[in-house]
Amino acid sequence: MSKMHMLEIIKQETVAPGYQRLTLAGEINALAGQFVQVRVSATYDPFLRRPISIHDAAEDRLVLLYRTAGRGTALLAAKKAGETLDLLGPLGNGFPLTDQKQVVVVAGGIGAAPLYYLLRTLKKAGKQVSFVYGARNKTELLLREEYRELAANYSEATDDGSAGSRALVTDLAAPIIAGLDAAVYACGPLPMLREVARLADCFDRSCFVSLEAQLACGVGACLGCVVPVKGSEKYRRVCVDGPVFAAGEVFFC
Amino acid sequence: MLIPDLTVKIAGVSLANPVMPASGCFGYGEEYVPYFDLRRLGAVVVKGTTAEACAGNPPPRLAETTGGMLNAIGLQNPGAAAAREKIIALQQWSVPVIVNVSGHSAAQYRAVIELLDDLTVVAAYEINISCPNVKAGGMAFGTDPLVVAALVRELRGATKKPLIIKLSPNVTDVTVIARAAAEGGADALSLINTLLGMAIDVERRRPILANLTGGLSGPAIKPVALRMVWQVTEAVEIPVIGMGGIAGARDAIEFLMAGASAVAIGAANFTNPLVCPETVEGISAYLKENGFASVKEIVGLAKKK
Repeated sequence: MSKMHMLEIIKQETVAPGYQRLTLAGEINALAGQFVQVRVSATYDPFLRRPISIHDAAEDRLVLLYRTAGRGTALLAAKKAGETLDLLGPLGNGFPLTDQKQVVVVAGGIGAAPLYYLLRTLKKAGKQVSFVYGARNKTELLLREEYRELAANYSEATDDGSAGSRALVTDLAAPIIAGLDAAVYACGPLPMLREVARLADCFDRSCFVSLEAQLACGVGACLGCVVPVKGSEKYRRVCVDGPVFAAGEVFFC
Repeated sequence: MLIPDLTVKIAGVSLANPVMPASGCFGYGEEYVPYFDLRRLGAVVVKGTTAEACAGNPPPRLAETTGGMLNAIGLQNPGAAAAREKIIALQQWSVPVIVNVSGHSAAQYRAVIELLDDLTVVAAYEINISCPNVKAGGMAFGTDPLVVAALVRELRGATKKPLIIKLSPNVTDVTVIARAAAEGGADALSLINTLLGMAIDVERRRPILANLTGGLSGPAIKPVALRMVWQVTEAVEIPVIGMGGIAGARDAIEFLMAGASAVAIGAANFTNPLVCPETVEGISAYLKENGFASVKEIVGLAKKK
């Protein structure tokens, strides 16, 4: 199957101020944790495509959840139902499916985006999922009811206490990771990922994190998006060797 | 109307069309196999290859800029021995392969050539004396005419295959370097490599790139590249492969009209993986519409009064 797609936009929704959910018609055979490279302008301005994680995928649709962080994503947010979107994908490796029955999934902010499809995949595979969801406030716990439905155990943390515990998401995740013989998956800000990886290491849990990077090609050719491999002088590419890495494999940066 | 003749000959190498990806923007070709048939290219120009494996620069290595991007990859590549396997794999496409040779010393450039010279799929070497992102070698070679001439002369003795010297734009007068390369025995020139640039993150109050500076590419640099191709093709007799900001057929035609015998497309591959084959088609369409029988008829056309 070709990796170049022109998909029709079915729906463009603002799920919270500054956050969009984009639903596209069509199938690209994506796995949870993979991403697409979206061309936000028909011109070369902005120059590069925007990497957007796959929020959900099914036979007839592809869903992207993203933050409007700059000019590129603002152009994407301005696209309306009926327009077509030029994208490359699916790209990257995706989350490996664990053999373990118990799974802990930790999300921080917009890092939740690719974890929705992961939760759906894990549920379908019969896993017992504990989902820990953190954000600055209740508004930024995007689509919290939809996430809640997919998890056997759901807990949430906000910086201001407007929903769930007034705590760091890693404070909530710590006892769960400590107490469950589970595989751990995480996506979110770097300090959160570092702490999740540290906790998983302490309790000897297998742990996979999804990283973000400035990309150019997205297909492994330009070598622009690398992260350093631990215990070596080498680098690995976030776009094709990742974006999901075993937590002990690379430095997060 | 007949289909226009797109074939060109550069340094004795026959190409089915004048369009190739620029080194560093196309890996060793394998990443773009899912996107199009590589036989549609005039040639494949592979990533800058050094004698030993090179880890490259620490990240961040990229910054997007207005009309382009900065990169400071630092010549990450698997080394000539491992690259050899990837280059052999390109044989299946029956397209000439141009190997970009990089190094920190003349001996290192020579070592790369010696490791690859028996491969018939290698049609020519592009000698990278213009990488702005490594401390020793690279651009340090490409900015001194005496050093350029001496390096080309030495490598001339190392191979019978054509030598294409890739020039840096980061010089006061590019024609001085072009003449030095020609006098040293270069068969062709390719220009331009990236322009040295910088971007600062005002929140972090630091340069975005870990290397502080990087090479600017993309549409933003096209006018500079075009001007240099024009100047160099006036100054030397050997053919020039023009590159720098080409993002489609009209850009490519400008370079041909400025005097380039062929063109290479770099960063635009990232935005549009089909930019190379689309450019081939666009050149053909232009020639047809304007009654040219061959692409060779438009080479240097803008210089004719």
